[in-house]
Amino acid sequence: MKDLIKDTIGKIKKQHILPESKWKYLARKYGVWFLFVLVVIFGGVSLSAAAYLLSSLDWDLYNFMHQNRVGYLLSIFPYFWAVLVGTFIIGAFFDMRKTETGYRFSWLKISLVTIGSILVLGAVMFFAGLGGRFNSMMASGVPYYGQHMMVTKESQWMQPQDGFLAGTINSTSNVVLVVSDLNGKVWNVDFDENTLIRPSANVSKGQMIKIIGTQSGSDTFQATEIRPWIGGGMMGGVGGQRNGMGTGRGMMRGN
Amino acid sequence: MQKDIVQTDADLIELSKKDPEMFGLLMERYQGQLFHYIRRMTQLPADDIQDLLQEVFIKIYQKLNEYDEVLKFSSWAYRIAHNHIIDYFRKTNARPQTNSLEDYEWEKIISASIRIEKDIMNKDCVEKVKVCIEKLPLKYKEVLILRFVQELEYEEIMDILKKPKGSIATLISRGKEMLIEKMKEQNINCF
Repeated sequence: MKDLIKDTIGKIKKQHILPESKWKYLARKYGVWFLFVLVVIFGGVSLSAAAYLLSSLDWDLYNFMHQNRVGYLLSIFPYFWAVLVGTFIIGAFFDMRKTETGYRFSWLKISLVTIGSILVLGAVMFFAGLGGRFNSMMASGVPYYGQHMMVTKESQWMQPQDGFLAGTINSTSNVVLVVSDLNGKVWNVDFDENTLIRPSANVSKGQMIKIIGTQSGSDTFQATEIRPWIGGGMMGGVGGQRNGMGTGRGMMRGN
Repeated sequence: MQKDIVQTDADLIELSKKDPEMFGLLMERYQGQLFHYIRRMTQLPADDIQDLLQEVFIKIYQKLNEYDEVLKFSSWAYRIAHNHIIDYFRKTNARPQTNSLEDYEWEKIISASIRIEKDIMNKDCVEKVKVCIEKLPLKYKEVLILRFVQELEYEEIMDILKKPKGSIATLISRGKEMLIEKMKEQNINCF
């Protein structure tokens, strides 16, 4: 048997073998953590965007679409963001397992940490309004995104043939609203005393509104309900007001 | 002078970075354990084991700056040896064997896996059980060797194999179960 110690040290000296520099090791070590943080941030952004989309949609529209709740939920679910959130959770999980001491934690603990981090960051971003901003950036910068990949509030309310219209009021009269829709097309929206105007809907020039009704011509629409652009319009009262614009004949809808 | 003082592993690592001669002291401390670990994991002649061990020590030396004191040095060295053995099997396309274990080492695994009294161990029966253990997948054989032959703690095995403690416990328990299943398949019922 050879003298292993003597041989090995001789080989180290003869071949000028040196310990690898520390910075390489540190770069690898912190690189993995940096990647983890990055993946969690992307996960948070995706989650906040999904939450924004879901929160901005009108959840009672299935009544008007003759759909049940589950069918409606499946039709508006933000699959794109959900897939991204799932991908980032899996990425963060495996990245954390790759850290220097990641193997010491059970799968359950790592799952809780990664899912928890993305949930917390996503919630913070959502309440800080970043989800909405990110969605707007995607809608304006990525054409295919807004038109085909996502049911957005805009796409939900720009279906006049199905009875949903949204836009800005150009002018008002007792029976007609002139509205520029989200694409800039001008509509004459007829309404009468049977039209339900939600309590917080401000039906005046320059206001953005959402309208439920029936398309009666190429640029005419019969309104059955008017809501403010933001929210369901229930703030400020119970039920809604039948058209009493300029007449002082407001009627509360019985629930 | 420095060689005469009892140094901790961490001290020796720092000294080895400046003077390779000091690395000899670290090698002296761990060459026995690592030699037997490599022998138990491979079926190689002593000279080949020494060659592998030398490669392992050179790798350890090259990675000295990576050593983190949250680990025991021995666990870290075993980890490097474990990875080197896996690489060796990959490169040579050799099938890992465990029949280079000594009889007393086999007995340790067998008695840990099956409830038996040492004094009623039947030589023929032990030979049959050896065949069953040899047929176990490497990952099960390795944890059984680390736990019952090298007599390492779960935490150390966890650090060597970079697997959570629960997974180590599962591997050990599954390894024992598989051994018992294989024995039933072979109609070995002599304990």
